[in-house]
Amino acid sequence: MERNETAIEVNNITKHFKVYPDKGAQLKERLLFRKRSRFEIREVLKGISFDVKKGEAVGLIGHNGCGKSTTLKLLTRIMYPDSGTIAMHGRVSSLIELGAGFHPDMSGRENIYTNAAIFGLTKKEIDARLNDIVEFSELREFIDNPVRTYSSGMYMRLAFSVAINVDADILLIDEILAVGDTNFQTKCFNRLRELKASGITIIIVTHDLSTIEKFCDRAIWLNDGLIVKEGRSPEVVDAYFNFMNHKRIEADMAKQEEKAAEEAAVPEEVPESPAEETEEKPAEEDNGGIDYSANRFGLKYIEITKARMIGDSGKDGRIFRAGEKVTIEMDYKVNTPLDEYIFGFGFYTLEGECLYGNNTQLDRMTVKTDKTSGTVAVDVLGLPLLAGKYVLNVAVVDNNGTPMDFYRNYCDFEVVSDDRSTGYFSIPHNWRITK
Amino acid sequence: MDTVKELYAYRQMIFSLVKKDLRGRYKGSVLGFLWTFINPLFQLIVYTMVFKFILKTSIERYYLYLFVALIPWIFFSSAITVGAASVVAQKDLVKKIYFPRMVIPISYVTSCFVNMLLCFIVVFAVVIFTGVGVNFLALLTLPVIMVVEYILALGMALLTSAVTVYFRDLEHILGIVSMAWMYMTPIMYDKSIVPDRFLPIFNINPMTHVIECYRSVLYSKEIPDLTSLLSALSLGVLFLLIGCLVFNKLQRHFAEEL
Repeated sequence: MERNETAIEVNNITKHFKVYPDKGAQLKERLLFRKRSRFEIREVLKGISFDVKKGEAVGLIGHNGCGKSTTLKLLTRIMYPDSGTIAMHGRVSSLIELGAGFHPDMSGRENIYTNAAIFGLTKKEIDARLNDIVEFSELREFIDNPVRTYSSGMYMRLAFSVAINVDADILLIDEILAVGDTNFQTKCFNRLRELKASGITIIIVTHDLSTIEKFCDRAIWLNDGLIVKEGRSPEVVDAYFNFMNHKRIEADMAKQEEKAAEEAAVPEEVPESPAEETEEKPAEEDNGGIDYSANRFGLKYIEITKARMIGDSGKDGRIFRAGEKVTIEMDYKVNTPLDEYIFGFGFYTLEGECLYGNNTQLDRMTVKTDKTSGTVAVDVLGLPLLAGKYVLNVAVVDNNGTPMDFYRNYCDFEVVSDDRSTGYFSIPHNWRITK
Repeated sequence: MDTVKELYAYRQMIFSLVKKDLRGRYKGSVLGFLWTFINPLFQLIVYTMVFKFILKTSIERYYLYLFVALIPWIFFSSAITVGAASVVAQKDLVKKIYFPRMVIPISYVTSCFVNMLLCFIVVFAVVIFTGVGVNFLALLTLPVIMVVEYILALGMALLTSAVTVYFRDLEHILGIVSMAWMYMTPIMYDKSIVPDRFLPIFNINPMTHVIECYRSVLYSKEIPDLTSLLSALSLGVLFLLIGCLVFNKLQRHFAEEL
């Protein structure tokens, strides 16, 4: 088998669907509501072209509704493109819908025959493969029981075993690897690797980017019915990953702005409510009265009235890109003046584990003020956190460390990052092979 | 021609669908497969009563006269009515997996055909036990007639099954059409009593020829009229071609319409 032969040629295909808000397929409805059966046209594919060589594994990625599943359906010929051409060289098998045509009352063995027949195998061909299929499914003892007695895992195992033993030249796979337990999944993957090594062309559609990276030589990223990027899978996956991160930030920003606008429309209500709550209990004004387990505690000689996290956008936000410069601003109000104040902040995990904490004293900075209110800011020059959700903690204490206003859980914030390391912090590093 | 080649490759699927349909049809009913015979037998009894004892037809051995026409007719009418709904009935398959779509109407028509063949066991039993006997030379043409009818039924089923996907009312309309068609075909009466001005309609009806051929082989024990057979065949082929063309054109959007 020539490695350079083309297995799939897709040439400028387009596809649109008619979306009827209210479809009447009956004569009466068609006649009576002629005007109503107006439809919108949704263009799902707007002209995509790609070639796949024999023996290549190609992954299609993109967010929901980008057209990747439609592309796969066009490749299997369940649907046809409106324009453009698709040429498939060789027998096509699809792992799109496993267990098509399974009949619950028939035995596993009979269902193998029915199901394999749907893939276009003749009786003789199925006979020859029956053993492999049964072996692969690990269902030998149950093979003559009706399929309705199978567990869903067994059912999928049987279905997958049939599909993968069809001996196709081109294998189309849509989100398969939710089949069976981990062992069986590994087995499936190994089998797919074998198939790939034997020169079978494989196209995979999945949301699991690591599958694509591990398994595919090439990836094609679709967005809005067009190919955005195509090339070696790690590069495409990275580009897609970045894009999705940006998109998420934008979406969250928009949400936040909306929220902020809402809050602005209803002035003087929600934002400072924690402060008001505690102010209603002024009885605990002495040292012994501090409840250290509370979310907010302290003597209130000085209070933090509001804290802000300001990223590159210049606005108070709760979602940041790793490496972004983030300024934490704390507005304070002095009730009883003290000689000196110590301001601090900390990053915590959602579980309450401290990741990082710092204050003005640790940094050998003295804060003295005779103003009754003001703002202290700290710049985090490049946010070094990995992707995830974190908790911001702000505090002001006196120079003995007695808490004046300690916000254990001021707010949650989210970090998006392209760094896929594990843990919490991004550490600049470089891999080399030294010997 | 590619279609034919592909259908040949999927022959196992046709077999297995036919098998599934035949096995599944009377599943759960007490009499099970016997219904295949009981149904036409009761139709036969009812029509015989009406035509023999009430309308007092002069046709000899009317039960046989009717029986040899009724069984092929039941095949044809169920092929178009049940066949029409076939693609819609298998929409889960159509939407989810590729196979030549024609496999579906072909298997439905074939399963109806197998049913007819089984009924013919009863026909032969009647023919032999009542002492009517058979003409073996004429009998040799029987498979040809059956094939002609199969082609005709398949052509109709392809056409109706494809159109039904887009226009679901057709399934119900066909119930009426098939009843009208039955009375427009000389099944319960003889073509000779049809007034001349209606004859063209009867002649253009391919089932007229098919039924007459069956009748000459099994009732009159004669070799059927060749022109009759040929006109049925040519009409059948025409239907099949139209059916294939329409089906192929319409099947491209099945997955979206279902």
